Amino acid sequence: MSIDNNYARPDALVTTAWVAEHLKDQNLRIIESNEDILLYDTAHIPGAVHIDWQQDLQDQTIRDYIDTGAFAALCERNGIASDTTCVFYGDKSNWWACYALWVFRLFGHEKVKIMDGGRDKWIAEGRPLTREIPEYQPTSYPVPKLRRDEEIRAFYDQALAQSRHGAPLIDVRSPGEFKGLVTHMPEYPQEGVLRGGHIPGASSIPWKQAVNTDGTFKSASELRKIYQEDLHLNPDQDIIAYCRIGERSSHTWFVLKYLLGFEKVRNYDGSWTEWGNRVGAPIERSI
Amino acid sequence: MSFPPKLAALVDLFSSLSEMERRETLIAYADQASSQEPRQGEVFDLEDIRKDEECTDTVAVFLRVEEGRCHFRITLGKQVQTLTRAMSAILCKGLDSLSPEEVLAIPNEIVKTIVGAELVRVRSQTVYYLLTRIKGIVRLWLKNHTPQTGK
Repeated sequence: MSIDNNYARPDALVTTAWVAEHLKDQNLRIIESNEDILLYDTAHIPGAVHIDWQQDLQDQTIRDYIDTGAFAALCERNGIASDTTCVFYGDKSNWWACYALWVFRLFGHEKVKIMDGGRDKWIAEGRPLTREIPEYQPTSYPVPKLRRDEEIRAFYDQALAQSRHGAPLIDVRSPGEFKGLVTHMPEYPQEGVLRGGHIPGASSIPWKQAVNTDGTFKSASELRKIYQEDLHLNPDQDIIAYCRIGERSSHTWFVLKYLLGFEKVRNYDGSWTEWGNRVGAPIERSI
Repeated sequence: MSFPPKLAALVDLFSSLSEMERRETLIAYADQASSQEPRQGEVFDLEDIRKDEECTDTVAVFLRVEEGRCHFRITLGKQVQTLTRAMSAILCKGLDSLSPEEVLAIPNEIVKTIVGAELVRVRSQTVYYLLTRIKGIVRLWLKNHTPQTGK
């Protein structure tokens, strides 16, 4: 399988075969990012480092991302320089890989790629795995001047304005969550919300529509049909995607931004855990 | 607090481990999770099968109560997380042969002792999941087996 050259940015995706051929590249870092916190420890791609969405990318007190200094330190200890090509992969069809890539873009790291099909595809193909934790020479990563929240991140007020103006909002959760039939799993209180439903005016396009059964992304023509022909989105529009905590919408953000070339798409990482708990937030249900 | 013997042995084991050893031991238990699946011909008092397509895959908890003692079996989907698989092996072993009341009396904090504060901090939703499900099925069994008192 090769990468579809009709994607807007085909260079943002690499195949498992490509990764296998570049395992020893000096200026490339393979990064595993998962929902399953112990999965990397069970086995990973030789040379891959582990970056956890919660432990490494989020501020541990305030609900926000780490600051620019902490990002530089994270890169330094993982041997990532400002010109290192970072290839992300992970479980759950690359949800958290896309999330980590999105956070790296928040800090302006330019060279980012996703390994198509993620961890499951690598394993299904019988490619090598190891439990050895690699050690890299620490780099000197310049502290980014700013975090680019304005460009690719949306906040509550912006999502509200989008809703009021009838501008595109994409809800990428499952249909049951969109309708308000499901809020969160009862045993998952951390992701709890008080109200179910969706942001008024949002369209339901579950993230899963963008992937094949093996977790790889659908072709450019299939994606264009879903997002452009059927949903009538166009690449010039301001678009906000959201889910429950921002990881599934990172996946859709990657699809729209890199595979379809939508320049003004943003990820609302506060997502339903903010909206569904917020006093006075308007909610639509379709039960 | 003192725990029933099987659980106490597990708590003692995990309490003695460093963070790295704890993770390795959890992974070793996760690898044993399939040994807790129902055996052919086993009959259960209650079955609680749930599938969350987005987060946890299928987690099925089976309960058999014999002579007032609980026995658990658990079936896990392919995508179930390592911590949940580890906790299924640990809890099936540690809670085996306890009475329903003893199972419900197990403090949730025992999970923290087993998996460690760091993993609880970063994945609290995952680590408590299975104990909550086990207590849920036991609570339902007790409800079904508690004589109703009419007025």
